[in-house]
Amino acid sequence: MKLLSLSWNHRSRACAAREALAAVPIERVLSELKARGFPEATALSTCNRFELYAAGTPSAAPSAASLLAVLEELAAAPLDAEAEIREDAAAVSHLFSVAAGLDSLVVGETEILGQVKTAYEAAKAAGMTGKRLNVLFQRALFVGKKVRTETAISAGAASVPSVAVQLAESIFGRLEGKSALILGAGAMAELAAEHLAARGVSKLVVANRTWERAYQLAARYQGEAVRWEDFPAELERVDVVIASTGAPSVVVTRAVVETAARRRGGRSLLLVDIAMPRDIEESVHQIDGVYLYRLEDLEAIVAKTMASRAEAMAAALRVVEAKTTEFNAWASSLSSGQERSLKHS
Amino acid sequence: MTAQLLLSWGACLLYAAASAAAFAYLLTKNARASRAMFMLMGAGLGAHSLAFIARLILFWEYPENRWFLPVNSFFGALSFLSLALTAAFFVIEARKRLGILGAFVLPPAALFLGLALLKADPALSPLSSELRSYWLNFHPMVLMSAYAAFANAFGVGVALLIQERQIKSRKPSALCYRLPSLDELDALNGKIIAIALPVLVLGLAMGAMWAYEAWGRAWSWAPKETMALITALFYAEFLWLRYAAGRRGRMPVYVSMLAFTCMLATFFGAEMSSGRHGFLGGK
Repeated sequence: MKLLSLSWNHRSRACAAREALAAVPIERVLSELKARGFPEATALSTCNRFELYAAGTPSAAPSAASLLAVLEELAAAPLDAEAEIREDAAAVSHLFSVAAGLDSLVVGETEILGQVKTAYEAAKAAGMTGKRLNVLFQRALFVGKKVRTETAISAGAASVPSVAVQLAESIFGRLEGKSALILGAGAMAELAAEHLAARGVSKLVVANRTWERAYQLAARYQGEAVRWEDFPAELERVDVVIASTGAPSVVVTRAVVETAARRRGGRSLLLVDIAMPRDIEESVHQIDGVYLYRLEDLEAIVAKTMASRAEAMAAALRVVEAKTTEFNAWASSLSSGQERSLKHS
Repeated sequence: MTAQLLLSWGACLLYAAASAAAFAYLLTKNARASRAMFMLMGAGLGAHSLAFIARLILFWEYPENRWFLPVNSFFGALSFLSLALTAAFFVIEARKRLGILGAFVLPPAALFLGLALLKADPALSPLSSELRSYWLNFHPMVLMSAYAAFANAFGVGVALLIQERQIKSRKPSALCYRLPSLDELDALNGKIIAIALPVLVLGLAMGAMWAYEAWGRAWSWAPKETMALITALFYAEFLWLRYAAGRRGRMPVYVSMLAFTCMLATFFGAEMSSGRHGFLGGK
């Protein structure tokens, strides 16, 4: 079999080509390729990646130039300068690496696996996958999962909000039925609210000096806005507090937290201060059952995660290599007429 | 006798292997290690139950011992404690899917049984007339069930202290994410103690009733009795601190561990104990 891959990703310095390609729906790419007689192709388009895979037989191999020409026409931009072009084994191993998250900006991220799946399903629905690409993409999804379960490539939380959520889960267990107080209504506050809501936090309370902005943020997450003066009372009820106001000095003092802690009946309280300058008085961490994490603590945890993921890279690459060899053996057995079997192991 | 000892040794080694598997699970989060732990522990529990039955059959060969349980010696009591501990682990942690706590609870089970096999005399003898009372099947059994539950709470407490330290340190390691959450551990610790303390008090009350029936005196301030009372008071102190005073952090956990130390002293202090409780000396 003959396989070709074209990719534009976060490694290329200029992003003009990627931006132009991101604007083209993959259904259009697939239908255009189909119209021009390409037998098998799959397009993967994410916010920082565009990839095209095309397969044919050795006698009717797709050419990189012809694929590029189609894409350039659709994107209405020059693309070839930034394209990474791979053939056969290199293309297989690249797809496996992509699916495993080894090629991502945040190594080991899991979203890409779902995106590969969506890309494959779209190609399948468009009738653009035959035996070769079917097996290749099913294999890629399998390798993506295998690498994540067998190596530590996806272990740990890799962003500040996800670290905050992970800490909350280490303290409270499942976050369903828990509540959070968001102090401030800026971009960071919103990001934190989004993560907490996604993990099932059932009640969000927003307090901000400007009532309108608190109200707007609360409304977006079916939360509740409270007046700024009333937030100390909320400290008695909520489980997690995310502070990211633009206040020039501390807004949550030790005295306020101590008063709240006394009325909490021994329930734990996680305070996350991602504001610069700080919003929460440092010494509240000394109170029993109160845990204060500052931005630098969360960043240190992220750095540790990324370091351990980098360590897991070698093991992950070994899996990718082994599976590439296996796939290539299958692909060449296909041309010789005596097809080997591929096992999910 | 040999069948009983062989089965006991088998159970002891299986508990030790299960503890090792639990540690492997704690360090690697490999699901196979967790399954291995449950299988080894289950096999150990089976072997241990058979050993107990074998001991019971031998014990009942003395006609005067018929229908009484063989807990009148140090060996019998320790072995029963280990059995109850593992059984309690099965009921509590396996049901709560907190098998990871095996790393903290199973080592004492292996230790108690090992201690019985190495240090205590497994020989059986006819019961003295004053022990031949239906209370013998209740008073020590109820107390040892409470002890087994407290040992489980102790294991949960160790995990709780580790988890608290991890989160308070602001530099949580991978262990932090493998252990159950702080609140889960806290709730489990409190729940076990809240259930076991009334059982302990019940066992003590039974002892008092037995003493009153036999000697007309309910309480004689024997060292073992006093120590058991102190144990109960410390556990009550823990419950008061945690739930009535709403205290969190390490302090209440330390109190529950102090209570556990008192419990161990109550149990193992039998050697020093005079009078009726001295039978646990195994002599």
